[in-house]
Amino acid sequence: MTFEPVLLARVGRDRSQDIDTYVADGGYGTLRKVLTGGGTPESVTEEVKKSGLRGRGGAGFPTGVKWGFVPKDTKGKPVYLLCNADESEPGTFKDRLLMEADPHQLLEGQILSAFALRCRTSYIYIRGEFFHGARVLVRAIEEAYREGYLGENILGSGFAHDITVHRGAGAYICGEETGLIESLEGKRGQPRIKPPFPAVFGVFGAPTIVNNVETLCCVTHIMGRGAEWFAKIGRNEKNTGPKLYCLSGAVNRPGVYEAPMGLQMKELLFGPDFGQGMKDGRKVKAVIPGGASAAMLTPEEIEDCPLDFDGLAAKKSMLGSAAIIVMNEDTCIVDAATNLAKFFSHESCGQCTPCREGTPWLYRVLSRIEAGEGRMEDIDLLEKISNQMANGMTICVFADAAIAPVLSSIGKFRDEYRYHVENKRCLVGSRTAAAVIA
Amino acid sequence: MSTPATPPTPPPPAAPEKKTLTIVFDGKPVEVPPGINLIEAAKLAGIEIPHFCFHPRLSVVGQCRMCLVEIEGIPKIQAACTTPLKEGLVVRTTTEKVRDSRAANMEFLLINHPLDCPICDQAGECKLQDNAFGYGEQRSRHDERKRQYAGYDRTMIGPHVIADMTRCIQCTRCIRFCDEIAGTGELTFLDRGGRTLVWTHDGKPLANDWSACAADVCPVGALTTKEFRFRRRVWDLNKTPSVCPGCNIGCNISLETRDAIVYRFLPRLNPEVNDYWLCDYGRFLSESLNVREISKATAREGAEVRTLIVPEAIERIASEIRSVVDSDGPSALFFLGSAHLSNEENFLLRKIADHLGCDNRDVVVDRSRTRRMKSKTEWLEGDHAGANYAGARDMGLAPRAGGHGLDDVLSGRWTPRAAIIGDGAFAAAADEAGSVDRLRGAGFLAVAARTETALSRVADVVLPAASLAQKEGCFTNVQGRVQRFERAFLPPPPIRAHWELFLLLATALGWGDRNWTPADIRALIREEVEGYGDVTEEELAGGGLMRKGLFVSTGAL
Repeated sequence: MTFEPVLLARVGRDRSQDIDTYVADGGYGTLRKVLTGGGTPESVTEEVKKSGLRGRGGAGFPTGVKWGFVPKDTKGKPVYLLCNADESEPGTFKDRLLMEADPHQLLEGQILSAFALRCRTSYIYIRGEFFHGARVLVRAIEEAYREGYLGENILGSGFAHDITVHRGAGAYICGEETGLIESLEGKRGQPRIKPPFPAVFGVFGAPTIVNNVETLCCVTHIMGRGAEWFAKIGRNEKNTGPKLYCLSGAVNRPGVYEAPMGLQMKELLFGPDFGQGMKDGRKVKAVIPGGASAAMLTPEEIEDCPLDFDGLAAKKSMLGSAAIIVMNEDTCIVDAATNLAKFFSHESCGQCTPCREGTPWLYRVLSRIEAGEGRMEDIDLLEKISNQMANGMTICVFADAAIAPVLSSIGKFRDEYRYHVENKRCLVGSRTAAAVIA
Repeated sequence: MSTPATPPTPPPPAAPEKKTLTIVFDGKPVEVPPGINLIEAAKLAGIEIPHFCFHPRLSVVGQCRMCLVEIEGIPKIQAACTTPLKEGLVVRTTTEKVRDSRAANMEFLLINHPLDCPICDQAGECKLQDNAFGYGEQRSRHDERKRQYAGYDRTMIGPHVIADMTRCIQCTRCIRFCDEIAGTGELTFLDRGGRTLVWTHDGKPLANDWSACAADVCPVGALTTKEFRFRRRVWDLNKTPSVCPGCNIGCNISLETRDAIVYRFLPRLNPEVNDYWLCDYGRFLSESLNVREISKATAREGAEVRTLIVPEAIERIASEIRSVVDSDGPSALFFLGSAHLSNEENFLLRKIADHLGCDNRDVVVDRSRTRRMKSKTEWLEGDHAGANYAGARDMGLAPRAGGHGLDDVLSGRWTPRAAIIGDGAFAAAADEAGSVDRLRGAGFLAVAARTETALSRVADVVLPAASLAQKEGCFTNVQGRVQRFERAFLPPPPIRAHWELFLLLATALGWGDRNWTPADIRALIREEVEGYGDVTEEELAGGGLMRKGLFVSTGAL
């Protein structure tokens, strides 16, 4: 049975972002069915729970369960839904495609989710650099208001909803849900202490649910075709639904691919419908399966490696944002780790000591090794620094993310680090010490 | 190696509402009041949880990560400051995991710190030093270039505070002080990650009325004050509990001195008055205590000014008083107390007037700009330039029926034959020619003073009086709270405390005992002054007025 794309079904079609083509393709039919066909907030939540949908932002938390954390009695406070469109994980570009190519799919899912949450106002917090995406969304929202899918008394159902697009100011950490909330409130983007969790005390002190773009898009289809249909897609009942994979790096055909949850890594890299193999016939050296914060995998580990939450957890990595970054045999692993450490050092918000001080330290030691000035004890030092940064040492899990590439690259490619220190140059690749110093 | 924990005693079922919570620290159950932070609760149990960003009066941010502890039932290590207190909480502070996390944090905090303790004013009252000694490793494994903050080091960011970001540990206490206590919000975090720094918004200066408190709450040497910078190592300073002389709020201060020089005032914790804070105006009066212009007794004889020994000068005043009483009766005398004088001193002035049967006594009303101070629970306001206006009034320094007051003198309605002015610096009015002329109209003018004023320059007899640092006594503040200040050092002879001078005068006039101490005078006040019967020595002991054992210098909070 071949898989029919669900989330990307309309991507690539002419004027796919316009409301008339969306409606012609059956769009907003689900919203009409739910709002005017006797749907209740409880029925929507129940359907999403049954579908087994797990959050597509990275953590993989069951969406329906998350919605259930909103207190029954909100003590007069409104409930807010925030769409996390701050897609900043290196290697990830799926939400951008969804927003730019098919914004109404997101809006429909967001309105449905808002209905389930009894939410009057929701926000799309979009990464600041996604200027085009923000413009597309603003226009789509205007269209939706005009056609009566947003605003007061939507489709005569009595349900009212407003969506506002809020552009971020350029911080990776604002993709962390409490950092996003702070930023949306107009404050410096830095994560909050939890508890209280956002479902109880979120944006403006009100109960708040933060969902990823792809998650909300999935809601559109769960409500359209039913939880059972959704749950049948995927490797098992814990890893359900269609999934977007962002393939990048040394493959022949990088891009966003949709497949049932649990696609084999080898299929994604080498399959004719996907990556079509390694560029120039080079060999795989390492694969980062879930964005920069996921531990890298070796060629042995990507054999029988289903790309889903539990499949990658079993390999002590994670699906994360499903950003699969492929490195070939010409990649210097120290160089790669240094590059990632630089990113995390640049993006730490700076509030917690271990992360603020640890991320630049890791970067400095790595760049010293990369520049041919490393010492053998630096390798152990990197591991020790990493181990004293994470696991509760900080408010959020940024530090845990930052150490993943360092620890996994040392753990799996220690010999290459040793070679680098001994010979003052890369084992492979062109970045010799001399080149870096020059 | 973890300490075995004693399981918490479960609360008895359906017990009447419990006033305290049982928290188990390292196996030891401790009863603590609800509503406090876990770090404070541990302190009550005699356990120190090291921290930087936590401050009892500022919001909890949990970001220095120094206070990590293990909480039973939670696998990951937890910040103590953000852990809500609840009945039966089991806390472990001595496990290997806790020790390692503290050592890790200390290492992280020090890798970019300049370690310039030898030239840093904070050394000696620095939490970074203390915690490094207590919880850090001896050596750092950091071998990279340290972070520099070019352009953000050794810079005045306001009229008093100097910022040096190379020393900053980004705890945000100063930011939170400005946001939450001062309410002015001058400071903020700029940039992020390892480049995060604290600075003022758009160069707007840190110029609120309490700006130096930002340096107080700074646990390291990142914020220091211009006034104290490079003047003394803090461990050289003697700390004397005292009361700020700046206004009638009467903020509790630690008077910090060495070799008979006052170096600084620091706020001294009193939750009901100034809490942990002190205003810049009061704080920087410290230097004024070192001013000494009148250091001997003098008498004017015609155009000449002659130096006398103090007993001579006292006798000269006493004989003048006696001759006025003989010629014109006691109603030709005038006694003027001051809000800058202690209760004891004002009381002695009044007793001399009583003894002589003089009804003309008063206190200078020396209004100042309104000053504000936040206690733990409320804002207090003071609007007198002296700390003891209420006390001076309480001591009975107001014209009695048929007597004359200062207004009568200054308006020219009445001129005394002899005026005894308790303090030369009694008011801004002392330097106004008109007022001085009116007072000078008295046939005889005696003044006790420390600094030269228009009044001291024209007085017939000037007595050399001690500064606040050189004497002890009590002030009564705007709330009616009697607060004791202690003597930091003795004045050099022949300078004496005002109360000693007044007591000498009293005994010369036939009342009192020259061996009395301020405590003896207070005993009389308790007997004679309404509302002062309960103010026992015990309550005043330690300078902390009615509250014992709270003497904490916030410099090392």
